[in-house]
Amino acid sequence: MADEATPALTDLIAPTSIRLTETATDKFDAIRKVGAALLDTGAIDASYIDAMIERENTISTFVGEGVAIPHGTLAGKDAVKTDALVVLRFPDGIDWDGNEVVVCVGIAARGNGHIALLSQLATVLMEPEKAAALRAATTSDEVYALLAPEEEDSA
Amino acid sequence: MATIDGSSIKKLIVACDAGMGSSVMLASSLKKQLAKNGVTVEHSAVAQIPSDADLVFTQAGLADRARHTVPDVPVVPFQLFLGDPAVAKIVKAIQNGDSFEV
Repeated sequence: MADEATPALTDLIAPTSIRLTETATDKFDAIRKVGAALLDTGAIDASYIDAMIERENTISTFVGEGVAIPHGTLAGKDAVKTDALVVLRFPDGIDWDGNEVVVCVGIAARGNGHIALLSQLATVLMEPEKAAALRAATTSDEVYALLAPEEEDSA
Repeated sequence: MATIDGSSIKKLIVACDAGMGSSVMLASSLKKQLAKNGVTVEHSAVAQIPSDADLVFTQAGLADRARHTVPDVPVVPFQLFLGDPAVAKIVKAIQNGDSFEV
């Protein structure tokens, strides 16, 4: 029951937005790299990156299974021009308040076009084997395959 | 503390600051777990929680803001997105129609 057309996965996550061999000195460095990748897509104004940092300072975006989902605040939404997601993998891992994060899924969203994709991410994280596959992904095809919504109306 | 009848929960809201990321993920997993129980699960920004919600899950740091938005709706804070014990306990109570404390 999508209330608006669900964009194609490759529209939401551009092939150039899947970066699988990133490095970061700490979690805020990682968030800035995620923000830079979102900026590269043209989906955000640079001020959104500050909103992402602010959000992380308020409440961690760590969601479990080695994954964090950095995104902005409600106030930062004005800096979002279109819905876009990026996937950055840090093979060496980043210390995220005592948890290790390997994959960051950065989110910039104005509307609900990304909901199906995040639902699928939740599904992946609830299945340890799929979560491990996401952490180990070395090609964008693997990332697309894991995050493709497998919902009822995939028309 | 209040005791709530699990079978009375028909509309569950998962709230986060922007209603953009975190709440979406928990709402989608709860939706699947509670689909058989006739519970509507929606996500929302914490400032926009609908007043006809029966129960709100939100991150611990946002619980006060959620209570401010909907003073008459019980608010359950959680720490973890996946496998939070407070959330798991209530989901089980709703599934079984048991009562639970908030």
